[in-house]
Amino acid sequence: MGGEAARRFLPLGDVSLVEVRTCLIVDDSRIIRKVARRIVEGLGFEVDEAADGVEALTHCGGLMPDVILLDWNMPVMDGMGFLKRLREQPGGDRPKVLFCTIETAPERIAEALGAGADDYVMKPFDGEILQSKLSEVGAV
Amino acid sequence: MTQDDFDRLQGLLASRAGFRLGRDRIHLAEHRLAPVARREGFDSVDAMLQTLWVKPVASLGWAVIEAMLNPETWFRRDRAVFDTFAGELLPAISRVRPGGRVQVWSAGCSTGQEAYSLAMGALSAGVTADIVATDLSQRAIDKARSGLFSAFEIQRGLSARTMLDWFEPAEDAWSAVPRLKDAVRFARHNLLDAPTDGARFDVILCRNVLADVDPAQRGQIVDHLERRLMDDGVLILGAEERIEGDTMAFRAVGGRKGLYVKAPSALSRAA
Repeated sequence: MGGEAARRFLPLGDVSLVEVRTCLIVDDSRIIRKVARRIVEGLGFEVDEAADGVEALTHCGGLMPDVILLDWNMPVMDGMGFLKRLREQPGGDRPKVLFCTIETAPERIAEALGAGADDYVMKPFDGEILQSKLSEVGAV
Repeated sequence: MTQDDFDRLQGLLASRAGFRLGRDRIHLAEHRLAPVARREGFDSVDAMLQTLWVKPVASLGWAVIEAMLNPETWFRRDRAVFDTFAGELLPAISRVRPGGRVQVWSAGCSTGQEAYSLAMGALSAGVTADIVATDLSQRAIDKARSGLFSAFEIQRGLSARTMLDWFEPAEDAWSAVPRLKDAVRFARHNLLDAPTDGARFDVILCRNVLADVDPAQRGQIVDHLERRLMDDGVLILGAEERIEGDTMAFRAVGGRKGLYVKAPSALSRAA
């Protein structure tokens, strides 16, 4: 894949192409994935899901998304383990990564930002919060 | 709530607050007034309104009015405005003011997110700004002054980095650090009231307020804002708000949504 993020294109008529922004939701809770998917699809993203860090890394190896919503505590590989490996991958600095977790302690939030997350969302969140966070990191 | 009650409620809001309550808002009114009725010890909204119409006690009237105002706000709403404020307006005005002090008024500040966003910008830019924030609602002012925001409120518009820089956890909420709290002075004020003193401001923000104002009273409010604004000051409205139809005193700044300066004709009385 080289260093370039893979992109998906949506054919529009036969002359122009509209770039579709992609979002990977990484969370071991199917319900959280479903809620988050509904929100980011509403913001115009094409969504894929992963249930842990290893699944997410495999996905990113094939298609680097524009945005990653990342849970912290997950089986197999947690969010922090995933983030460190992602940032070492070619093109792994490109996705905007938003931690989305129940951790609310300032030192934990600072730890996540220090590890290379672009922003941090405390659960529970809603569409307005996610939209404003994505807009602050320049993803929408 | 009967149609007659609703008509009277509309009249109360228009005359006392200049607030236009749309005809389709009767269900919203019932929903918003139910907690007020409970708090004030009435069995129902209808019972509260009957009492209010017979004996218009000021405190009850204002409690009813406050509940119907539009409290919608969030941190750094329409982000570009805050970058313009901190990056361009503050440094430019500060250079030409005694001691570098800039006077700022957040008019219609609701629960304070706008005022604190301005204060964060000023403190980060190292510009000394006296920030006054007012709202018609005493309940909104009390909340704003507390500097406490829920996890939902604090995350709407603020990055986690900015949140950590300016707020600290306080049980289930987040509390503005003292340096930020001290940077804003909150007070209750009715924009329909004419200025009674000479206080003037370099920047006045009155965003997403006029959109809800009764058209007949918009001109009066804009006139009061104009009298409070320095001749070389800037008025900032909501990104999509226009006042060309209400006043000759201001002209829009090209390319900057919501920014207005005084028109040359409005400067004559200062000469």
